[in-house]
Amino acid sequence: MIAQAQTPKGSVLIKNATVLTVTNGNLEETDVLVENGIIKRIGKNLNAANIEVIDATGKYLMPGIIDAHSHVALDAVNEATAPITSEVRMADVVNPYDIGLYRALAGGVTISHAMHGSANAIGGQNITLKHRYGSYNPEDLYMKEAPRTIKFALGENPTRVHGRGNGIQPRTRMGVDAVIRNGFNEALQYKKAWADYQAASKQRGANPVPPKYDSRLETLADILDGKIIIHCHSYRADEIYALINTCREFGIDNIVFSHVNEGFKVAPELAQYTMGASVFADWWAYKFEVYYSTAYNAAILMENGVITSINSDSGELIRHLYHEAGKAQRYGELDDEQTLALITINPAKQLGIADKVGSIEEGKQADLVIFEGHPLSVYAIPQMTFVDGVKYFDINEDPDDMRLKVSASEALEPIFLKEHEHRCMHGVDFFFTNFGRSLFNHSH
Amino acid sequence: MTGTYAIVNATITTAPGNTLEGATILVKNGLVENIGSDIKLPPDAQIIEGDSLFIYPGFIDGASGIGISKPADPERPANFDPSNPPDELAGITPWRNALDYYDKNNSQITDWRKVGFTIAQIVPEGGMLPGKSAIVTYGGKESSNVLANNTALNARLRNVGGGRGMYPGTQLGIIAKFRDLYKNAELSAQHNRLFASNAGLARPEMNKTLEAFFPVLDKNIPILFEVSNDLETKRATSLQREHGFRLILMGVTDVKYSIEAIKGTNAQVLIGFRLPNDKTASADLEGKTDEMRGRTIRIKEAYQEILEGPALLEKAGIPFGFTTMGGRSSEMFKNIRLMIDNGLSENAALAALTINNANILGIQKFAGTLEKGKLANMVISTAPLFSSEAQIQHVMADGYLFDFDISKKSSSNGSNGKTIDIAGVWDYTSDTPAGSSNGTMEIKKEGDTFKGTITYDNPTGSGKASSEMNNITLSGNNLSFTFNVSAGGMSLEVTVAGDVSELDFRGNMSLSDFGSFPLNANKKPNQRNQ
Repeated sequence: MIAQAQTPKGSVLIKNATVLTVTNGNLEETDVLVENGIIKRIGKNLNAANIEVIDATGKYLMPGIIDAHSHVALDAVNEATAPITSEVRMADVVNPYDIGLYRALAGGVTISHAMHGSANAIGGQNITLKHRYGSYNPEDLYMKEAPRTIKFALGENPTRVHGRGNGIQPRTRMGVDAVIRNGFNEALQYKKAWADYQAASKQRGANPVPPKYDSRLETLADILDGKIIIHCHSYRADEIYALINTCREFGIDNIVFSHVNEGFKVAPELAQYTMGASVFADWWAYKFEVYYSTAYNAAILMENGVITSINSDSGELIRHLYHEAGKAQRYGELDDEQTLALITINPAKQLGIADKVGSIEEGKQADLVIFEGHPLSVYAIPQMTFVDGVKYFDINEDPDDMRLKVSASEALEPIFLKEHEHRCMHGVDFFFTNFGRSLFNHSH
Repeated sequence: MTGTYAIVNATITTAPGNTLEGATILVKNGLVENIGSDIKLPPDAQIIEGDSLFIYPGFIDGASGIGISKPADPERPANFDPSNPPDELAGITPWRNALDYYDKNNSQITDWRKVGFTIAQIVPEGGMLPGKSAIVTYGGKESSNVLANNTALNARLRNVGGGRGMYPGTQLGIIAKFRDLYKNAELSAQHNRLFASNAGLARPEMNKTLEAFFPVLDKNIPILFEVSNDLETKRATSLQREHGFRLILMGVTDVKYSIEAIKGTNAQVLIGFRLPNDKTASADLEGKTDEMRGRTIRIKEAYQEILEGPALLEKAGIPFGFTTMGGRSSEMFKNIRLMIDNGLSENAALAALTINNANILGIQKFAGTLEKGKLANMVISTAPLFSSEAQIQHVMADGYLFDFDISKKSSSNGSNGKTIDIAGVWDYTSDTPAGSSNGTMEIKKEGDTFKGTITYDNPTGSGKASSEMNNITLSGNNLSFTFNVSAGGMSLEVTVAGDVSELDFRGNMSLSDFGSFPLNANKKPNQRNQ
């Protein structure tokens, strides 16, 4: 095993906390020992030499919160110029200087799924980021062990951007499904062309000519081969149902639905055929396709066996996902463990990283948050946030100006008077003319 | 190019760190015939007294847009599909040759020759892959002045289309497209090789976009990657690690943040000498709140970091060359002196103007230093080159001797009383990582004030919209104005402010809630006795 670790890994002993493991119940007055970024031991009266000891008496320790739908730390969100852009990679445009990363850490979030926007039926490949804030190198933020994921989008956004904006398919929901199917079918042809070429190359004396390389179709072929988890922006039950059927037809099991406001209508199907749903706590009615919604959505899905998570899709909401999760107790009466699962082990499962993070278990990565007050309490305030055992946020050592890089050429940096709501449509407005793109960062 | 000159008894710096006092340089037919303190002069040599002269190798510009015009926008076909546009419309023209868009009689060449440049690598304008550069010399009028052709493949992380939704539009699409093109170029080359040596194969499909990459695949020429911040530098070096091409990074900034990324590659570095204005020079920290004081101090520190950037590269042992892109000839020496004041050695500064660029451009065999047998390109100054009183009296380029009037030091940037004439038509581009937009500004002088209109991409449809420019204020070399954009029932006020000179504007466009984006403009030449 070659130690690849160039990102910081820390050691720390957190003593005497109420440990909310999420998967193994709650442990009172318990210590957690972290060595080199891994949770080494959980128990009582632990000791360790030469590492920092944190007294967490009276405080709560929970796994680092995971946001399954985010656009924080991205320089560009939508390559909205074609209805299928599976070839683009969000990893290429990560911006490690985004102060949103630090704000998320202050809200206890250690991992965010940095996604392509919802302008295209098939968007780009997302990147799972660990909030290792402080590095100048975008690659230091990649969670390299995380599996590949890709963004799909159904409904009003792709039909507005391409159909209404550019007069190209898709213009309707059936068009969206057709675009996806056509993409998959072309990918199958592409796969076959390359398989034929590889087979022909193996024959003695043969000199086959290689087919054209197309990273877009290659990525779609990888989806069909189960190598990439689809995260699909969707609201309406009919479109969710239709895509589930399309996936079944193409043999795709690795799909998570995102937003899913009408998910409660198709909960059994989501439970049986998908890797779950990632929803808002109580956000709806900002578009026609989002009218038929309920705050009980998360609870209903959970009770019906759907792996459910709550996401932010917003640089503002990400700062208090623990409150958002708490709403699922108010509406639906989920118990503490189920509710905490919404922002820890469940999004970890949806991102394919549940064996590494998402709960406090020996052997897992030390992404941890210390809370003052139970996280689901209205009075909860995150105190310290650790990623890989390194403390990236401490409320008692929180300077006013945490920017990593400041521009020399502006006299005063602009202050955003209102943070925009979910940035799924960031960069795409008014039929995505570019001036509008710069000016009007409205979303959803 | 014919003729024999001898400059006698001068201080000659043949290369950084090697200065000869009281020496003579003998030039014959544009080449250095001899340098030394006691050399024999042929009888037909034109003697120039060099007692008070300081001679340096002629400067080489690592990347230049001087004299380059923008290619005309090709017409869109009737069945134009923005998600799959033809390469030529989509800014993918790696086969274009900078020489086809180069005017060797452009007056700006004179401005740059005046500050010592004798050779330049010219870079084409365009989209993400605008074409290939060439190397020219700033010699006399009789020659074509071309030293070399197709010397580098240019690339950048911005595209054309003004954000009209053409693929690829953002850095996401551009980087993905670059990978696809590179990979397909490799496959195309492979197909060509197979076809050449085997029978019974389908013939290769000739594709000039892919063929333009072939000399890059062979490592015969590098990719000249234009970068505008440290994240773009990292994206370019990332692509280099993936594909293995030779890389020149053009326009490296934010050195403190880029340096680790550059160290990890064999990339060569070109930096501009344009520096931002010291925005906090006159800031009074006393009366400010704690927060404002903290923020002001950070801007001061950021400014300081930029000044120290070149010194940081030198300390890290990374040789770099200067590029004139984005810079103004009137401020070049002032800015280089600032860099020297902040830690850059004079030798490194001179190397960046001469031998380092010769190495980067691959012309070190005949340029970059003053040596017997090399081109006689020289800069002749009245004082040590980087001293504040130095003026360039002569430049020899390609064997031609150019004389400059040094009787008075001319003012620069209109800061000494001369008002800049901003009236005219300006082409501007505004960039965000999510795409660029462009348009024109037309400014007219009316009595004591200015009036103008600005065009921009229509936010509620296609084509362009226009608005009146309000509050146009010109103060020294600062220009600012506002304009309103109406869309969807809202009216937004946009503020534009920045530094202006006779021909260009560099500033920012900002809106209270949405942030600030760079906006750069070039003035179209006024239509007068052209």
